[in-house]
Amino acid sequence: MSAIQFLTEGFQTALQPHNLLFAFVGVLIGTAVGVLPGIGPMSGVALLIPVTASMTGGMDPAAAATSSIILLAGVYYGAMYGGSTTSILLNTPGESSSVVTTLDGYQMAKQGRAGSALAIAAIGSFFAGIVSLVALALLAEPLSEVALKFGPAEYFSLMLLGLAAVSGLAGNSMTKAWMMTVFGLMLSTIGMDVVSGVSRFTYDIASLYGGLEFLTVAVGVFALGEVFKTILHKENNEGDLAKVGRIFPTKQDFKESSGPIVRGSLLGFFVGVLPGAGATLASFFSYIMEKKLSKNPEKFGKGAIAGVAAPESANNGASGGAMIPLLTLGIPGSGTTAILMGALIMYNIQPGPLLFEDHPDVAWGLIASMFIGNLMLLILNMPLVKVFAKIIETPAKYLLPLIVAISIFGVYAVQVNTFDLFLLIGCGIAGYFLASNDFPLAPLVLGLVLGPMIENNMRRALTSSNGDFLVFIQKPVSLIFIVIAVLWILVPVLLKLRGKQVIINEEA
Amino acid sequence: MSKTFDRYASLLFFVLGAAFMIESQRISHSSYGSNVGPNVFPFLLGLILGLLSIKLFIETLKYEAHNKGKEKLDYKSFVIILAASVLYAFLLEPLGYVLSTFLFLAVGFQTMERGRIVKTLIISALFSAGVYILFAEILKGTLPGLPVWLG
Repeated sequence: MSAIQFLTEGFQTALQPHNLLFAFVGVLIGTAVGVLPGIGPMSGVALLIPVTASMTGGMDPAAAATSSIILLAGVYYGAMYGGSTTSILLNTPGESSSVVTTLDGYQMAKQGRAGSALAIAAIGSFFAGIVSLVALALLAEPLSEVALKFGPAEYFSLMLLGLAAVSGLAGNSMTKAWMMTVFGLMLSTIGMDVVSGVSRFTYDIASLYGGLEFLTVAVGVFALGEVFKTILHKENNEGDLAKVGRIFPTKQDFKESSGPIVRGSLLGFFVGVLPGAGATLASFFSYIMEKKLSKNPEKFGKGAIAGVAAPESANNGASGGAMIPLLTLGIPGSGTTAILMGALIMYNIQPGPLLFEDHPDVAWGLIASMFIGNLMLLILNMPLVKVFAKIIETPAKYLLPLIVAISIFGVYAVQVNTFDLFLLIGCGIAGYFLASNDFPLAPLVLGLVLGPMIENNMRRALTSSNGDFLVFIQKPVSLIFIVIAVLWILVPVLLKLRGKQVIINEEA
Repeated sequence: MSKTFDRYASLLFFVLGAAFMIESQRISHSSYGSNVGPNVFPFLLGLILGLLSIKLFIETLKYEAHNKGKEKLDYKSFVIILAASVLYAFLLEPLGYVLSTFLFLAVGFQTMERGRIVKTLIISALFSAGVYILFAEILKGTLPGLPVWLG
């Protein structure tokens, strides 16, 4: 079994002291990000890219990329975990993926069972982390081998499918989501064309030749946009903080939540693998499923522990599942994985089928570190839950200016020019206005990251077909992808026409 | 969801799409051994964005404008923070990281809530100096130091 051998090597990478430290810092910051309202996993990961870039400055590129991605992925699933803390204690979800957790979590807190709820959330997240780890290890090799057989036409159609899935599920208006996707793709064409060396849309502005930096745009629209929104709307999180109470769950709690945890993890993982359907949908589905399966569904909404266990396992399972398309196909299925992909590309490491051949240490190191990170989360969070609950009380008046300062520092540290700082502020303003008018931002960032790859594959496919666009539907695999993409767009539209409610993914 | 915003946005994106189509024609068409030059992709994108903008505009005609009771927005703080951020970006290089960050944070904290000057100054000073020492001195990153005239 080569997977086991690779996984062992992955563990050797992940267990190196500095990588352990990176995983630890990642999950710690991730939990804080999840707890703090106003910073989501996307802005958290984006803000930390420059910090990790400077921390890993002295290492060789592959090792630096491994360490950085370990830290950044830690932030991602740490945030999934941290989001549950505020849901349970404050009735305000720290992340959209924890919205469902408030239903039963806060009720449990009101009954004085906050500690058990938090502990079960941690245990569920841990179990989900293990499930996604095993599935990743089993699926990664075969999937990337299939993907290796793809030509440019298949890749182009596959990426189109990815974009269709994300745009189809993001936000209230599909038109707006598509506009943002196309706008992101357009932004990605600015700068020097890598194939022909011709400069496009640069208008002799020297800073534009390298293209718009993905990091600047991501930090701007997510982190700054969110800060501006909070300032303008004077959002306050004043609520009564529930007491944590007894932390260790009772036997009865375990008995009631073991089933939901297992089902939630599996469901979450598979939902996470699908592009566009992220942790929010996963938590939502698993809650509904548990309510349907439960013998006494009337308990849901009144502090049923299964109503905490299932969605919290599902959203962590989904964040593991989302790694599969990213690592094996090189196609991010969500905003956060798009940012992780951008980070890998910054290190000159291209996620995709070749990743497992060219940089097995990066891929398997990350997979193994997710296991270690989840273990750390479990150990950290059981005793430290009370400490993290304190973070919620960080006053916004200090937090908001600090986020601006960290954004500016981060962008300057990587780009070292003032042009990017102005671009950052501009993106922040644009991000605020677009987001507050229902223009989703995740498709924009996804378009920006995938743009160059989509264009290159399109041009390569068209070159070999002498400019004939039919090549994309003449190849069977490519045709299948396009058909699925079209269905993905049409089915919700048809459902809407028939007056059905369509679930959308608010998370981005 | 604001109808007016959507209308202006659709107009703006339409112009943008059209501009992309026109401007992509000025990009050199040649590319070695291929009839698909660097102009094709931007042209298509411009076209799609233009069509989507028209679709959005038509959609704005259909749905009812529903004003959800105008929320009072805190424009004053926003404008001050925004102006401070722009100034911060301008002054980062001439004033150096520590000074400009300190000033920005002090202004930012006071805008969010007046009073507690001492605490504001302490946190601003700790953050700006702390980041500089950690990043520029220990990790050897690039940040503009103190201005020359301060020695």
